[in-house]
Amino acid sequence: MQSATGPASERAREAARFPSAAPDAAPVLEARALVKRYGDLEAVSNLDLAVRPGEIYCLLGPNGAGKTTTIHTFLGFLEPDGGSVRVAGFDVTRNVLQARRRLAYVPEQVMLYRNLTGLENLEYFAALGGWETLTTTRLTEILVDAGLPRGAVGRRVSTYSKGMRQKVGIAIAVAKEAEALLLDEPTSGLDPKASREFSELIEKLRRRGVGILMATHDLFRAKESGTRIGIMRSGTLVNEMTTEEIGHADLERIYLDHMHEVEAAK
Amino acid sequence: MPLGIVLRNERRLLAADRALAAVLGVFALLFAYALLNGMAWVGFQEETVASAREGNVERVEALEAELVDIENGGSPSSPFRDPRSASVLGGARGAHTAVLEPGPLTALAVGQSDLLPYYYDISIYTNESSLLQNGEIENPLNLLIGRFDLAFVVVYLMPLLILALGFNVLSGERERGTLALTLSQPVSARGVVAAKMAFRALVVVGLALGVSLLGVLVSGGFGAPGRVALWCAAVTAYALFWFTLAAWVNSLSRSSAWNATVLVGAWLLLVVVLPAGVNITAGLLHPLPSRVEMITVQREASNEAVNQRSELLARYLEDHPEMAGGVVAEEANRAALAWAATEAVNERLEEVTADYGERLADQQTLVRRYRFLSPALLAQEALLDAAGTGDARFARFQSQVREFSDEWRAFFVPAILAGEPMSAGVIPRLPAFDFRDEPTRAVAARAAFPLAALTGILLIVGFAAARRLRRITGPA
Repeated sequence: MQSATGPASERAREAARFPSAAPDAAPVLEARALVKRYGDLEAVSNLDLAVRPGEIYCLLGPNGAGKTTTIHTFLGFLEPDGGSVRVAGFDVTRNVLQARRRLAYVPEQVMLYRNLTGLENLEYFAALGGWETLTTTRLTEILVDAGLPRGAVGRRVSTYSKGMRQKVGIAIAVAKEAEALLLDEPTSGLDPKASREFSELIEKLRRRGVGILMATHDLFRAKESGTRIGIMRSGTLVNEMTTEEIGHADLERIYLDHMHEVEAAK
Repeated sequence: MPLGIVLRNERRLLAADRALAAVLGVFALLFAYALLNGMAWVGFQEETVASAREGNVERVEALEAELVDIENGGSPSSPFRDPRSASVLGGARGAHTAVLEPGPLTALAVGQSDLLPYYYDISIYTNESSLLQNGEIENPLNLLIGRFDLAFVVVYLMPLLILALGFNVLSGERERGTLALTLSQPVSARGVVAAKMAFRALVVVGLALGVSLLGVLVSGGFGAPGRVALWCAAVTAYALFWFTLAAWVNSLSRSSAWNATVLVGAWLLLVVVLPAGVNITAGLLHPLPSRVEMITVQREASNEAVNQRSELLARYLEDHPEMAGGVVAEEANRAALAWAATEAVNERLEEVTADYGERLADQQTLVRRYRFLSPALLAQEALLDAAGTGDARFARFQSQVREFSDEWRAFFVPAILAGEPMSAGVIPRLPAFDFRDEPTRAVAARAAFPLAALTGILLIVGFAAARRLRRITGPA
């Protein structure tokens, strides 16, 4: 009934108008033979992964699979023990500041300065990101575009919900014109409406050519908004497919099959 | 590092944080109160100095008038207080008060100036014992902690303000979660910490120097710009030491609570325990002879001297054969005898006080050697020296007073021994004391040492903090 005009079909039409990145475009996020160890534990083993402009790459996997570790190496928070990570062509280990200039990060909990307003927070982080000259009007516009109610822009962040803080996080990415966006379980704990708004928001960024890597447990969201899906297990990528390849197949089935393989192997 | 961006954000955060703003407000009041307290002390000291000077003039004028009167046929007010007698004029009646004006920055650091005497009544009877007397009887609590002046607030309390502002610059960001978003921007943890500390240093040093300069302005201390510069340098270096220490503790990546505990512990150790420890050790290793002992020695010597006056006189005249001919009149003879007794007492006293002086010097050497243990000791030394209220200016005053005392005695003693009467004509020739202050260059040369040591410690801690902070790449 509703589905014919619902968001899914709308999305399908839009996807047709703004196809995924051409496979030959240079990746904005690229890990090559990435290895990261914590003591004896190899959290990421020999990972090869590339996210191209206009792509939403959803990284699935159980807790401890290495998703967050991968994201943190892209951010330069962690130094790889082997291989390399690049952001927009910049080697993160060698040129972390150049890499960070080109990416934005939305963690599971976007923690902002609670005593400052959303606008002041955006102004600060955008300025740190190298965009000092943005006017208050422009920054307000960005926040409103990201879905923050106009009335909330000048209120202290301590009054914000989690979803509102996520929107400020996205606004930072927009303000600094990030080429790559790293999302670490951004929709966990969001109610379905906020979760859908969030998906729409990142879809907007994708259409602008931003390459997005999203670690998530939300299989539904992954299938809904992802252009490509990777399944990680024990630090390795065990499956990688486009959402078109999945088609009508049951992503949950595929995912659980991979997890069972592990248990069977044990 | 976009320093300006962080500074602006920190200003906003500070303005939005009522608790921090309140802490700053309380400290601003403490600084202001300390300054008022120092200024009140300077006012009191200036009043005392002025009244001592007035007393000098009045005394001399009264003596001159009496001498003129006697010369015109009048009689002395009392036969025992006849100003024609050199021992009366140079002794009880004509004593000259040697005074030390407050130092140019005393309003900022009262230091020892309320403890050490800043005036002495000099007469021919002045001896080592009178130089060791303290002028003021003080509230013991004041003696213990010093007056509540700006130097006290800077050395003891300012570190606490710095720690309150800086203990969690990095740990707080991590605990509140904002560090993740911050470090995902093109900035380093080191740069962020440096900028946040720079903002706090601007606030604290600005406050401390602002109040200091206000004090200098009000109390007219700009006549000594070198001392003012030295003061400002010491305040800045000391504050920066605490900021770098806070940065270093933050670089260890522990919790804010842990940081606070360690930093308060460091404050307790460096500001309270070590300085007290050094002083106690100095007192134990080189104990000063008791004052009671000194008084006993003085009394014994004086009794002995009275009992053996004639013997003493004979001995004295043996030592001073040139005086023998002059001792003719009975009155003069008595005065000469009294003088010989005084000299004998002084000689005995000098033996005791030489020992006292030696032990005091040993104590000071020990304190000087171990002051490097605590930046608080170094800062205090530099601050008091800059203000002119440390040991050095008082030692200089005492030594000039000693010289003056000798000069005074040299003026009267030959007349006493010769039994020469004094006339109104000698009054204008009476010696007068005028303190010659140390040139700023000499002060700077001396204070440069603790200041350089403080800067050295600050650089070492800062370097260690920078090295550790460089390794912090993420929010975990």
